[in-house]
Amino acid sequence: MSRASASAIRTEVESVLARRAPAALTLKIKQAPELFASGIVSADSLLGGGIPRGCITEISGGPSTGKTSFAIASIAAITKAGNACAWVDLSDSFSPEAAAAAGVELRRLLWLRVPAVPKHVGEDKLLSRLELALKTTDLVLQAGGFGAVVLDMSEIRPRQAQRIPLATWYRFRLAAEHARTALISLTHSPCASNCAALTLRCESADTVPFSSNGEMPLFEGQNYQLVRERNRNEGPHLSKMAPSRADWSAQTLWTRAG
Amino acid sequence: MYAVFHPPNFLAQSAARERQELRKKAFALLEGEAPNETVVAASRAALALGVRAGMSRVQAEAFPGVLTLPRNMDHECAAHTALHAVACTFSPRIESIEEHPGTYALDIHGMNKLFTDTTELATRLYRSIKSAGFLVNVAASENFHTALCLAQGRPGVTIVPHNSEAAALAELPINVLPLTEEQRTTFSTWGIRTCAELAALSEVDLISRMGQAGKKLYSLACGEHPHLMLPIEPDFEADLVERIDLEFPIEELERLLFLLSRMTSSLLDRVCSRALAIGSLRVVLHLDGGKQHEFVVKPALPLQDTPTLLKLLQLDLEIHPPSSAIVIVELQAHSAAPYRAQHGLFMPQTPEPGQTEVMLARLTKLLGEGRVGSPELTDDHRPNSFRLAPFVPPPPRRHEMPKQTTAVALRVCRPPQIVRVMLRDRTPAFVSWNGTAYTVLEASGPERVSGQWWTEISWCREEWDVRLASEADERICRIAYDPRSRCWYAQGTYD
Repeated sequence: MSRASASAIRTEVESVLARRAPAALTLKIKQAPELFASGIVSADSLLGGGIPRGCITEISGGPSTGKTSFAIASIAAITKAGNACAWVDLSDSFSPEAAAAAGVELRRLLWLRVPAVPKHVGEDKLLSRLELALKTTDLVLQAGGFGAVVLDMSEIRPRQAQRIPLATWYRFRLAAEHARTALISLTHSPCASNCAALTLRCESADTVPFSSNGEMPLFEGQNYQLVRERNRNEGPHLSKMAPSRADWSAQTLWTRAG
Repeated sequence: MYAVFHPPNFLAQSAARERQELRKKAFALLEGEAPNETVVAASRAALALGVRAGMSRVQAEAFPGVLTLPRNMDHECAAHTALHAVACTFSPRIESIEEHPGTYALDIHGMNKLFTDTTELATRLYRSIKSAGFLVNVAASENFHTALCLAQGRPGVTIVPHNSEAAALAELPINVLPLTEEQRTTFSTWGIRTCAELAALSEVDLISRMGQAGKKLYSLACGEHPHLMLPIEPDFEADLVERIDLEFPIEELERLLFLLSRMTSSLLDRVCSRALAIGSLRVVLHLDGGKQHEFVVKPALPLQDTPTLLKLLQLDLEIHPPSSAIVIVELQAHSAAPYRAQHGLFMPQTPEPGQTEVMLARLTKLLGEGRVGSPELTDDHRPNSFRLAPFVPPPPRRHEMPKQTTAVALRVCRPPQIVRVMLRDRTPAFVSWNGTAYTVLEASGPERVSGQWWTEISWCREEWDVRLASEADERICRIAYDPRSRCWYAQGTYD
């Protein structure tokens, strides 16, 4: 079959299906998403500019691996750019003090504290803490207008996070894309599967001893490592060339104040 | 066409109207704190004797036969009410002249169908005010200010024919114009005493010497100065009330919302007719048994959208349902200027105000009170103290370069969790938390903090930053010892 005839057939099929599925056989050109810089130079260079907007970014890692610090640094940069953000706090562990110290504009941040006890919704429906958090995220994404939404599920067990239906993540992905919102999920281990456009793993790097300066022991900071496990928005060439790990560090409030 | 009536010496007239025994007597009205009282008005007889406004009490009492009385605001209010009532019978559009108490201007355009002609109307107006107990001057003219000047300067009824304003004003002294003391002196120096003399001056020369004020006075003397009438209107806010007395009590929310929808739409129509929006809605539900259920829905920004307002009412009623059946529904609205913002094309997106209100109300219903909002740090030494403020993001700004420093974030345990700590040399050595045993690799502390020691809710603790290691993981935490309860708590984890 010649190229001309194949093109003619394709045009004919598309014209027949035009009302039901416009441009059914034409490849969609996916544009590179807008990126939100996290404000951490090494992390931004690893990610090709920052966190993608309109996509799900999954940040996983154990305790004290820097995922919350990274998320707060990103939110600080996003709010400073004039965007509103939301933080869905599943375990009510968000620290406004730490956020303010990181530079988050608190007036642009909507903090949603999920209650610990299950809650009755309607007459006989009882929602668990995780279900409440997912429903809250859904409402915020549907409302639109937010630059970024953080779904903080760091404290729940990996097995529990794995039980979140894939349909929920698909819905979140579509809602985030529609609202042009960066949905950042903080978990112990990855659970969004293919719906996450960017998957990052946080790890501890070299330990900074408390008594590094030879005086009284003082916790001054921590070194972290960010591992890019997947970036669906990146072309194959870029993903090969760019490094997959980035080292970064964070300081404690009292060290920065000094 | 305007008709203006002016009762000369209104304060004295209103006092004499209420106290008949004062008529034809010489009296002065005083204002101020004793002994610094001053004369604000005097009757015609007192004026003839030489009493003037601004005199002190002693000066006024020095005139033989002059009675001094304190100014009575109630008498003046009663006089105003009487005059206003008379004016209302002649025109629906009335303006009160604040500079001259008791003076009212009536828009009589189109009133000839009721009163034959302008002369008839003015004469009847004159008689009506006289029968209400006032001596008054009435003037009618196509120019507002001409009518006002004539009412002040010419007794009785004056009708100005079409295009004869300048001629009608010609003989009036320039004192009827709103002159400042400086302008009065200037005109006196120039030898200008009447409006005709002022109108005869060259407008350009007058403006070059007196500026825009000269232009205004010139146009007033010519009877050409324009005026935008600001008629007295009923209090718009007081009218924004809807009330329904139900024949049968209702309990279901759907039925109530049906009524609220109609009432809200009606209120919004009235508000929108003035290019305003609803700033807040107060709902008063009179319940079966005599109780009242009351709440206020106040969106962050004024709304002009019935579905949004109705949704906010619904969510509030779902969170706080009335305790019994409803017999009377009352809705009071407060108007406000609608929210208008001109955002830049390349400005960051922000949540749409109406949708945000509904979303916040839904989230409050879902998560509970005090769990939705913007965190706000309080002026307190207690670590991690905060309060939740309503989420009202400020308008978007242009992009700025973010700061390049990163802070270690603390994941706070709310409430603090009890941990078991084993000390070695007064330093934590082992920690047992959530059934996991940790070895303390490093410890920094203690940091002794306390506060509110002057109240009953005083607090104090010794805080430690510790690097913990177990078989599974390693973490850096903040633990604290409370000397009062003699317990160790986990404050949070650095992450």
